[in-house]
Amino acid sequence: MLSILLLIPFAGVLLLALWPGRPAEGRMRTVTLLVLGLQMAWSLVVLARFDPGNSAMQLQESFPWVDILGLEYKLGVDGLSLPLVLINGALTLVAGICTRDIDKRPRIYFALLLVISGAVNGAFLAENLLLFFLFYELELIPLWCLIAVWGGVNRAYASTKFLIFTAASGMLILGAFLGLALYTGTVDFSLTPVTSERLAMGSQLVLLGALLIGFGIKVPLFPFHNWLPDAHTQASTPVSVLLAGVLLKLGTYGLLRFCMGLFPEAWALLAPGLAIWAAVSVLFGSLAAIAQTDMKRMVAFSSVGHMGYILLAAAAVTPVSILGAVFQMVSHGLISALLFLLVGIVYRKTGTRDLTVLHGLLNPERGLPFTGTLMIVGVMASAGMPGMAGFISEFMVFRGSISAYPVATLLSMVGSGLTAVYFLLLVNRAFFGRLAVTPLIDPVAHGRLDVNLAAVAPRETIPAMALAVAVFAIGLLPYGLGKLSEAATTAMVQLPALAAALQTGGLG
Amino acid sequence: MPHSIQMVWLIPLYGFGSVVLSLPWAAGWIRRNGPRPAAYLNLLGTLLAVVHSSLILQQVWQLGPQHLEFAWFRAADLDLRIGFDLSLTNLAALELVTGMSLLGQVYALGYLDKEWSLARFYALVGFFEGALAGVVLSSSLFMSYFLLEMLTLSTYLLVGFWYAQPLVVTAARDAFLTKRVGDVLLLMGMVALSAWAGSMEFKDLYVWAAEADASGAFSPMAGTLLGLGLIAGPMGKCAQFPMHLWLDEAMEGPNPASILRNSVVVTAGALVLLKVMPLLRLSPLAVNVLLVVGTISAVAGALVAIAQVDIKRAFSYSTTSYLGLVFIAIALQQPGIALLLLFAHGLAKALLFMSVGSVIATTNCQDLTELGGMGSRMPATTTAYLVAGAGLVGLLPLGCFWSFGLMVEGLGSRAPFFAAVVLLTNVLTAFNLTRVYRQVFLGPAKPKTKRAPEVNWLMALPMVILTVLVALMPALMARLDPVPGLASFSRITAIAVCASGLVGVTAGALVGLDTFWSRSMLQPLRALRDLLAFDFYTEKIYRVTIVAAVAGLARLTVWFDRTLVNGLVNGIGRLSLASAEGLKLVVSGQLQSYVLTVVAAIVLLLASLQWLPLQWFNR
Amino acid sequence: MPIIPADLVHSGGMPSAAELEAKLLGGETLLANTPDHLIEVVDVLNSYGEVLDAYSTNLIFQAERQLLLPFPLFKYLDGDNSPAKIWRHLNHDRINFEYAEYCMKAMLWHGTGGLDAYLDSEPFAASCAAIISKKTRRDPLLALLHPLFPSFLIELIRAAATTHALGQFWRVMSDLFLDLARAEADGQMDSIDAVVEFLKAGLVAAAANPITYGVEVAGEHLWVLPPEAGLTFLVDVAVPYVEAVFLRGMPFLGTVSFNAQAHQISPDQAQFAYGALYADPLPTMGSGIPPSLLMQDMYRHLPERLHSWYLQRTRGEGDVRVKICMSFQKSMFCVTNAAIRGTFPHPLGSTDPQARSANRAYAAAWASRLAVARTDCLAVKPPVA
Repeated sequence: MLSILLLIPFAGVLLLALWPGRPAEGRMRTVTLLVLGLQMAWSLVVLARFDPGNSAMQLQESFPWVDILGLEYKLGVDGLSLPLVLINGALTLVAGICTRDIDKRPRIYFALLLVISGAVNGAFLAENLLLFFLFYELELIPLWCLIAVWGGVNRAYASTKFLIFTAASGMLILGAFLGLALYTGTVDFSLTPVTSERLAMGSQLVLLGALLIGFGIKVPLFPFHNWLPDAHTQASTPVSVLLAGVLLKLGTYGLLRFCMGLFPEAWALLAPGLAIWAAVSVLFGSLAAIAQTDMKRMVAFSSVGHMGYILLAAAAVTPVSILGAVFQMVSHGLISALLFLLVGIVYRKTGTRDLTVLHGLLNPERGLPFTGTLMIVGVMASAGMPGMAGFISEFMVFRGSISAYPVATLLSMVGSGLTAVYFLLLVNRAFFGRLAVTPLIDPVAHGRLDVNLAAVAPRETIPAMALAVAVFAIGLLPYGLGKLSEAATTAMVQLPALAAALQTGGLG
Repeated sequence: MPHSIQMVWLIPLYGFGSVVLSLPWAAGWIRRNGPRPAAYLNLLGTLLAVVHSSLILQQVWQLGPQHLEFAWFRAADLDLRIGFDLSLTNLAALELVTGMSLLGQVYALGYLDKEWSLARFYALVGFFEGALAGVVLSSSLFMSYFLLEMLTLSTYLLVGFWYAQPLVVTAARDAFLTKRVGDVLLLMGMVALSAWAGSMEFKDLYVWAAEADASGAFSPMAGTLLGLGLIAGPMGKCAQFPMHLWLDEAMEGPNPASILRNSVVVTAGALVLLKVMPLLRLSPLAVNVLLVVGTISAVAGALVAIAQVDIKRAFSYSTTSYLGLVFIAIALQQPGIALLLLFAHGLAKALLFMSVGSVIATTNCQDLTELGGMGSRMPATTTAYLVAGAGLVGLLPLGCFWSFGLMVEGLGSRAPFFAAVVLLTNVLTAFNLTRVYRQVFLGPAKPKTKRAPEVNWLMALPMVILTVLVALMPALMARLDPVPGLASFSRITAIAVCASGLVGVTAGALVGLDTFWSRSMLQPLRALRDLLAFDFYTEKIYRVTIVAAVAGLARLTVWFDRTLVNGLVNGIGRLSLASAEGLKLVVSGQLQSYVLTVVAAIVLLLASLQWLPLQWFNR
Repeated sequence: MPIIPADLVHSGGMPSAAELEAKLLGGETLLANTPDHLIEVVDVLNSYGEVLDAYSTNLIFQAERQLLLPFPLFKYLDGDNSPAKIWRHLNHDRINFEYAEYCMKAMLWHGTGGLDAYLDSEPFAASCAAIISKKTRRDPLLALLHPLFPSFLIELIRAAATTHALGQFWRVMSDLFLDLARAEADGQMDSIDAVVEFLKAGLVAAAANPITYGVEVAGEHLWVLPPEAGLTFLVDVAVPYVEAVFLRGMPFLGTVSFNAQAHQISPDQAQFAYGALYADPLPTMGSGIPPSLLMQDMYRHLPERLHSWYLQRTRGEGDVRVKICMSFQKSMFCVTNAAIRGTFPHPLGSTDPQARSANRAYAAAWASRLAVARTDCLAVKPPVA
């Protein structure tokens, strides 16, 4: 059942690799899209088989692999991972669709895309720490290649930075996993929570710290976010969509599944600090976004801010906050993918993303009016406008966290308010006003400029439209997603919440 | 329960549904034909809303208040519901919303007759109307917030309707952000309430607040913060000082939207305040803030209005002023009077803005100093202005006279200061309306008013209908009257109100317009006029305080990110990968070094775990 | 950040006032003579002619048959109130007559020239009084309002008179433009200069046409603009029209702030430069841009040749109405060119120094106004290409 989710993309890679001759880019693209469509369809089959009332891992599959290392091939899915698998299926498909004009090695490009998709599925489904790590690392290298080979002008710098950070992330995670095995003396690398009977709190804290930094880099959280804006600005649009929509979720998934799940007691101990860390990250991301003039950098920094909510929710460990975290992962995936798609369209048509250069793109005949309309939808969703996915997610995160950490929650809400500031700057600068693609501010010269931008074909906006529809659907009818994840998230909360209660009861 | 009541959820959907129906025209998918069918569909939707809400009003009149709830989202201990409170007050407000929306939309058909983006305008108005209708009926704080925020969005989009106009670019942004400040504060209050009280239904919240107040379990600090958060939303929506700036900026938008904004949007905001008022028992400070804000808004708003040369702004500040009075009434526990004042003001102000709109449509001019002598040529417009003015000022026995009378009577003994504020506002408003009337309608024609035929029938008809409604306002108020007897105030109060109105009118009639308008040679007078004309320099104050602070923080953050974080990263990068030239390694070389680094680092980490004095941690 | 490709953003040259003056005096056309320009101008004027035909018919219908009606529900139906026509009207499958009214309002509001002067005269007041006394006898609403608002009905009759005069003006222009297209189709038109000459000839021929306006009230024919007033086509209507619509115009809500404190609009209407020759074509079809209506009307009557010419350029069908606006601006420069040629105080070839200096002064006056117009469209390589 679940293995097929891995089999489909990797079989697709083989198919591409073995395709005879030098097939055209279009053919490669079609094959990739078929494979990704199949994967999405199979994800839906998994969804249909999934029992939302059950909080345990379902549809499990396992066979021993390398016994001596404790590496077991064990897959399972629950209410936390299933939405992410679905998002992965949807967004890799979107990334495939919006891939255009691959100037070099299309075969490798599409193969890498499929590898990422399969590896991400594997990471979300893995029920063994080492297996997770394998998939986690497996996804890094293709992504690095996608930036380093098909990226923008400064791709060497950005991809190297990405590599250094993710190398550090990987080594911290692996180190923590190995350390866990070493200290508890068990080498099964299972997802069993660690209790203080089995491992002293000091060691727990060190291991949790390593994991936190490891996943904090991936999320990314301040001050480990530095690779993200550069990676985004140099990555092509589909890669940005994947990076923001799917790969960052590996970090937050890791926070919830491994940091909180494996070390409930240490987590409860660190939680107050984590809440403050979350608020700092939110405010830092939002404030930095305000000062950006590159649309893509702005959206990238907004990710730093919006992923901070998930840490806040995780720190609060209440049923509502953790469910809110799942909502936020899904809605951030959809919204940031939408925004990157739209910025990509603007970039392709105008050749720039500079907010000091772009004006009046809403112009109905010569501008990009439909893109602009979708952009307004996207930024409003991101700013937490009710009726769209961002609002209900943020509301649940805040609602679940405010009792535990009022100050951090209120500060995060300020960050949510700041989102409106920078995104309105984006919309009002680039889309309002008289159409112009010029840094000139002389009004006379300004008023006499003609602008001939290529038109946006309807097929270019279809993926963005689909994402916008999904954003509305979740915002207006959150019931489905809530039902899917509620049992699992409620169960996840129990241990850390108990530990927190014991600590507050015990310590003071 | 009759069907009309069970189907109450349709009421907001008439507006929202029309938005969807307008899409083919608004998105330009229909290319050869014009956008008017979208306008007709919206009008039809609004007409349905009017008919449906009248039916409900009739039923509720017979059956008494009703309450309907629908489940929306339930997860863990969170239970969010869609609730409709069908009380007479809410339904009267709904009638106001749908009725004004209908008149406004007919008016817009005339005002925007040369507008090619008509479908987008009507879609936005439909959205606006749907959200407003929901807000006034809403029985829960969550739903109210949900819709208020949508209202903020639609205000942004309506103000931004002429998005290519340079001042609109900043006006729409500022309108959104000012309202957003209030909304975020309200969100904070709402989230906190939701966590503490559980339910978001107003009636449950009232019970909770009463218990929390009685048990004293709630810290005064938390109560105060909560109260301030809750009043911030309505303050923003009602354009109260210091969040009044958006209303001025919103005047860049199309006039039909201004009609709705100055009448029904502010009314909806005040209704939300009325609904949260029982929660403010936890926060005496918030009540005092309401009083201070209301007083400042009432007096300063009226003063600033007097110094405006822009015809739309002269009256938008007056909206701030009247809503200030409403705030005072609400804060002093006079909900009935607040409601009467809201209705009287809402209708009259809408009529005033219709009249102003036809002046602008006829003359292409909003500058009072360039207008004049239109009175004898524009019967509908002139009559509308006069009736609206009479409805706003406490002098002739129309709407506001009775409201002011009741308010002065109610406050006279308990809070004479606020009674004086009401009278002072009356004086200033009467002054303002009179001087504008003289400027626009009397005197010789100016170049821009030399040819001023009356506006087309699509604008004139709703204007005449509303004129009649405003003239009949006392009769409507008597039916609606939630206080005992509309005229239940003493003769002395009536005389005081009339006298204040008369003083204002007389002063407005006597003041020398020309000398007043051209900048005075007297330095203090000139400074005063500039101070008022530029709204106490609020915009500038914002710019040097909040805006500068946020911008400064943002720059600081970026500096921190660039120099410290990035610098550190680049330094480490240089160390770990030899040098910047090292980056030009071939792909395989990089991969190898990557794998090597990973392995080496893991070994190091594991080794360090061995050597670290962990026992010290473990105690 | 990549540099913006130069072909995305470029502006045509702006000739100086001296250059324009030299062109006018030398008998050269303002618009460069190219085959593309010829197609654009002739075909756009062809569709404009058809639109003006509808405008003119409707304006005359409104002025003659809908005078002082309180609820002119059917004023755009030209008297054909059949269900099919009403359905087309509701479905907005029609000419946008609102734009014609907009031009009428511009003329009325700017109030220049002989027609406007007549509207303030004694004889006009007398005809108004006659009409009003007839009307108020049958219409109680008007009977009630007239004593209260004595200028109300007179002002409406002034508007109706302007409406009718504009209808007559456009009747002539419509025929002229359609004749031009026919002549070009017959192969008689091979240059921009020929177009300008043709237009000038047409204007000169119609110059002395009388402008009159009478209405039927209660079965009686009453003059509003009687023949005795001596109003003529060129001086009393065409020149004020050019002044009000081509040059001054009215500020667009979509591009100019009406905020009094922002001072974006001049208090002196003579300083206005919002007319057709000054307008920015790029925001066409945006919100708050009234000429969008005209562009849409012309789009619906676009000759096949020009349509396919547009399809080959920039976004093809996607921005066709902006391209129509650009072509329209060029053709309006040609019409202005013809009008200036036709109204020189003396023949251009005159050797009399006094005549020459009078001509030079006339040309200089025009050149100084045109120098700040959108003359960048006149160059050989226009932005559209």
